[in-house]
Amino acid sequence: MRAPAVGIQHVTRPLTRFRKRPDAAIVLGTILVFLVFGAVDPESWFQFFTMINITRYAAILGLLAIGQTIVILSREIDLSVGSVYGIVAIAFIASEPTLGVPLSLLAALMLAAAIGLLNALLVLRGGISSMIATLGALFFYRGIIYVTTGGTVMRFSQGARAHWLTQAFGGQWLRLDNAFLWFMLIAVLASLVLYHSRFGNHLLAVGGDETTALARGVTVVRTKTIAFVACSLLAGLSGIVTIAQNPQTHVTLGMQLELESIAAAVIGGTQLGGGRGTVLGSVLGTFFLTAVRSEMITLGAPPSWYTAFVGIALLLGATINTVMARRSGA
Amino acid sequence: MRVSLARFVLKRPETSAVVVTAILVTFLTITTGGTWLSFANLQSVSRITAVLAIMAFGEALVISTGEVDVSVGSVFAMGALIFIGVGRTVNLGVALLLALGGGLLIGLLNGAVVAFFRVPSLIVTLGTLFLFRGIAYGVTEGFYFGASDEVRSRLIFNVMGGANLGGVNVAVLWALVALLVLHVVMFYMPMGNRILAVGGNAASAYSRGVNVARVRLIVFALSGLLAAFAGMLDAASIGYVDGSFGELMELEAIAAAVLGGCSLVGGRCSLLGTLLGAFLLRAVGSYLVILGIQPQWFILLLGVIVVLASLSDRVLTKLLFRLQQR
Amino acid sequence: METERAPLISLRNVNLWYGTVQALRDVSVDFYQGELVGLVGDNGAGKTSLVNIISGIVAPTSGEVYLDGQRITSFHPKLAIDLGVETTQQSVGLCDNLSIARNYFLGREPVRRIAGIPFIDLGKMRKEGRKAITAFGLRESVDVDGEVALLSGGERQAFKIARAVYFRSRILIMDEPTNNLSVRERERVNDLAVQLKDQSLLVIYITHDIFQIHRIADRFIILENGAKVADVPRNLMSAEDLERIIREGVGNDAGSPRSG
Ligand SMILES: Nc1ncnc2c1ncn2[C@@H]1O[C@H](COP(=O)(O)OP(=O)(O)OP(=O)(O)O)[C@@H](O)[C@H]1O
Ligand SMILES: [Mg+2]
Repeated sequence: MRAPAVGIQHVTRPLTRFRKRPDAAIVLGTILVFLVFGAVDPESWFQFFTMINITRYAAILGLLAIGQTIVILSREIDLSVGSVYGIVAIAFIASEPTLGVPLSLLAALMLAAAIGLLNALLVLRGGISSMIATLGALFFYRGIIYVTTGGTVMRFSQGARAHWLTQAFGGQWLRLDNAFLWFMLIAVLASLVLYHSRFGNHLLAVGGDETTALARGVTVVRTKTIAFVACSLLAGLSGIVTIAQNPQTHVTLGMQLELESIAAAVIGGTQLGGGRGTVLGSVLGTFFLTAVRSEMITLGAPPSWYTAFVGIALLLGATINTVMARRSGA
Repeated sequence: MRVSLARFVLKRPETSAVVVTAILVTFLTITTGGTWLSFANLQSVSRITAVLAIMAFGEALVISTGEVDVSVGSVFAMGALIFIGVGRTVNLGVALLLALGGGLLIGLLNGAVVAFFRVPSLIVTLGTLFLFRGIAYGVTEGFYFGASDEVRSRLIFNVMGGANLGGVNVAVLWALVALLVLHVVMFYMPMGNRILAVGGNAASAYSRGVNVARVRLIVFALSGLLAAFAGMLDAASIGYVDGSFGELMELEAIAAAVLGGCSLVGGRCSLLGTLLGAFLLRAVGSYLVILGIQPQWFILLLGVIVVLASLSDRVLTKLLFRLQQR
Repeated sequence: METERAPLISLRNVNLWYGTVQALRDVSVDFYQGELVGLVGDNGAGKTSLVNIISGIVAPTSGEVYLDGQRITSFHPKLAIDLGVETTQQSVGLCDNLSIARNYFLGREPVRRIAGIPFIDLGKMRKEGRKAITAFGLRESVDVDGEVALLSGGERQAFKIARAVYFRSRILIMDEPTNNLSVRERERVNDLAVQLKDQSLLVIYITHDIFQIHRIADRFIILENGAKVADVPRNLMSAEDLERIIREGVGNDAGSPRSG
């Protein structure tokens, strides 16, 4: 809306500027959740052990959430990330005995990229909505996981566990999980790419207004393809990190992560209509969900409660987001 | 003459479903040496088809408006859990009302958020999918609810899926009734016209005075109601229900509707086709069972079928348009 | 028009914002029964936005709207239609996936009740739909059961006008009705507009064809950048002057902030 007094428009006060950020709510929400849990449960909450548990799961979910954010910013969605996470992790562990750690790691990441490419192909060339294409992919790769592992549990050998590359993802540095450091590094990189690179600009333009972006010479297909591939790669990396830390597989590996990653992005302020959102928001959204999860586990709630909670968080987050976006006149 | 016949056939949204079904049944029968066509197998296929079809009809209505409802698998579980859970402890009549009412309420919740706040339906129903799945696991705590023999002998229980008539489960009759009623609503009543109009072009429908929000609300409410009803029928015929009841069925329902000729962008719908789509999926499932193939293959296959069905949906729409323009 | 008559529709200080775009600025205007008003202005001047308020598609951000002296507080196409406003919209109005017959009665399907259940009267829908096709000189080959997607641009336009005329009650709004129409059909639409006015309907006619509207309208309202810049009876302004004002504007600069 047009401000009645013209003078104010030029010097936006920091508070107003903060309020207008898409991630304003989650910044406050996360701080609040940490404080409340700290107040309710002061002995255990601010302990190192609790925090390390939170950062450990946050790293896994956060990598997925960053990928999901990139895809949502381009106005698509990727429901297959949970299965990609699982299948890449299993590919990594299953190919290690024959290929060795470095090559199997590479192969696993290539598998992730290929899956992302196939998703992009189905959506952009096949013309099916990303929701259906990736829903199909979700079940297809989950089916492959079931069929190939058949319920057996695979483990790394001692040698593979000790390999420096495994340690680079699964070990610790300065008492912090390397996984968490990777997560932070990638969050910073993704932020830089999104807001300070040409690709980032294109991505936001494509998500905001595809026709205009196309008219301004942005290659929509290429931009979205990169988004899908990046998302799959991050999902795969998350799977690899998980395996490096905890080298055994299970058929349910990564189930429900599509929901959690979307919820983290959405409550982090990413607009489902595309074009608006921040990596910081999704990172904080991840911390928010992870904190609640950790507290629920501490309180002895069954995992189904957490599932229900994420469902509600997604529902409320998406609704509030959409209403706020309309308010601000987007 | 040949062109006009082709035009008529292609214009029907369920054409491809009919053709594929015919080919498939032949294939299944021959490769199983006739076992597939046996009475015992048809008996079970018809029951599980009916249950899926009832849920898929609701999905088809939602898809016709250009939206999607992925929560149906969990609503199915809620319907089943309430029916058995309340039925065995309180009263079957109350259970019946609560189960249907619960499904209706979840549908209304989905519909209200979609219709009034315009949040993408995929996200809304993804949220409720997990919310109610969490609740389903939460209330069963890893166990299952079983119906006692006393409960199973009650009339309501038998009418709601417990009984077989001439070897055919009552669910099949319910599916046929639902098909008939919804087909009439869709193509011979004003509501159907408006549902299709909203799916075709919501802005135009709105400009002609159609209450678009109400149409959206109604299709989601019906979808919830039908999913809960299907869950009840399934639970009553099996006799027990656990927290995982109906998992993955949302995908099957979408697949059945798309296979049956409902267009995912909305505006095109066939309920007869959806029934055939449901049959197709369940037939393939039973085939895998007869061949002794791991049931997990079905999940994989389902993913492929959904993607192929929507690809062919695109191709068919294009073909249709070209043929009509001649 | 004579001042002693009460206006049928009256807009008072209406503003309309689409997000950060202001489409209407402080517009006040009256429309009377039995007149044909030409609503003109440059592309993006706000003509469609103005009539969208009258036909209930959008609600004004601020300002008042009166119909028959009654303040309108909720805006919905259904309400407008029930109050007697029939509109041929510029860009919406047809659902491509539905047949001609089904589009014709969309939102107001005729029903035959059997045991209280409302079944749509497909027979009537076909009959009236067919009548509209032939009356408006659409191709002989057009099939009432065929999808609207198959109609040409002009045929679609003709169909929308036929439908609006069929349902007319008190107010008919036509947003660029002659787009895509041949010379002959254009004449027909203009004759119809005059005829309906003579039947004492209020006809609001939006067009870019100044000379055509100058021939038939009683009064012109010129919009520029969302504001009303002129409201003149035909006998006070020549078509040339009208065109010049639209082309050159009256200096209502959209960029300068307006204090209100
Ligand atoms: N739904 C909308 N969202 C955002 N802006 C809109 C919307 N509809 C119209 N506008 C803007 O409002 C202004 C007025 O548009 P309007 O359609 O009323 O113009 P018009 O006079 O009918 O033009 P034309 O002669 O091209 O039809 C334009 O700047 C347009 O871009
Ligand atoms: Mg216009």
